[in-house]
Amino acid sequence: MKCVNRWNSLLPLALMFSLTGSVASARDNTKPKIHASSIQILMVQSDEVKLPIDFQLALYENLIQQIQKTHTFQHVYRDGDTAASSAPDLVILHSNVYGFKKGSEEKRQVTTVTGATQIKVHCLFTDKAGKTELAQDVTGNVRFLGGNLRATFDFAKKVARVTEANFQ
Amino acid sequence: MKIPRFPIHCAATALLMAVGSLAAPCLAQEANAGNLNSFAKTKEVLGLEGLKHNVTGTLAAENGSLMFTTRKKEVTVPAASITEVLTGEDTQRTIGGTIGFLSMFAPYGSGRFLSLFRTKIDTLAIEYVDTSGGIHGAIFTLKKGDAPGAKKALLRQGARTSVPVEVGAKTQAQATPKEKQQ
Repeated sequence: MKCVNRWNSLLPLALMFSLTGSVASARDNTKPKIHASSIQILMVQSDEVKLPIDFQLALYENLIQQIQKTHTFQHVYRDGDTAASSAPDLVILHSNVYGFKKGSEEKRQVTTVTGATQIKVHCLFTDKAGKTELAQDVTGNVRFLGGNLRATFDFAKKVARVTEANFQ
Repeated sequence: MKIPRFPIHCAATALLMAVGSLAAPCLAQEANAGNLNSFAKTKEVLGLEGLKHNVTGTLAAENGSLMFTTRKKEVTVPAASITEVLTGEDTQRTIGGTIGFLSMFAPYGSGRFLSLFRTKIDTLAIEYVDTSGGIHGAIFTLKKGDAPGAKKALLRQGARTSVPVEVGAKTQAQATPKEKQQ
């Protein structure tokens, strides 16, 4: 009998928590998207990490390709593109690699569980004046099969998803 | 008296194989020396405008430009627009030197060298600028030993680099005796 009473007292609490949770998630869903018609993607930097140029280029090129695929923006400008300065609602994406976990393709092939490579990138979306619109850390992984190039592809896909979710 | 033929045949075959294996590198060198500006069986990993990823073709540095030819397409990049040419070795040298060693103790594993490819192939990364100033990057993988030659060929056509070939060769020559000592 005591046990039933306890459950009765806990039920309203549980209900309250579930309601607040759903309200919070609903708020997240209704979060207004940032309006931007074009984006300029700057070359991926690695101030804290010594990253080979081929890795930087792969991150940059994959990023451009994946963001173009989303069709979220009318124009996707590259770093240094002079036409970007005249674009009206321009968002600039700054990416900075701040960490990585070196994996092993051999281990991945053998075990498919260990040997994952991780690359951690801080992504910052600003307007032309440099005001931050959105900041997010994105991790590119290659867990099961494939070379480290897949980690750059995974990172780019995740950033593309972030832009889709936050920009219109 | 009858001489057994089998051992003679065996010895002759072994001799032919030995001569053949010695001659093969010489023949390969001659083939490379004949065409210093062209590198067959090069894979464009990514980055060339108008080409899909992982396409195999021939990389050539001729007439003031980089040309990548596949069975169906030919992509040309003016050498003057190439602002950076780096081989995998260049990158390892610049990162894996003293700075690389010191930063080995940095957090998040930031000091260790993370390479994009396996070491059994040569890589060549180029950075170039299009007509509107946009930066592009392209990555190639070549047969082992071809990347320095491809870099030199591109530099001869007018491409630029932050790691000159002579400097790279010097540092390599300096590093070799140390490695031998160890």
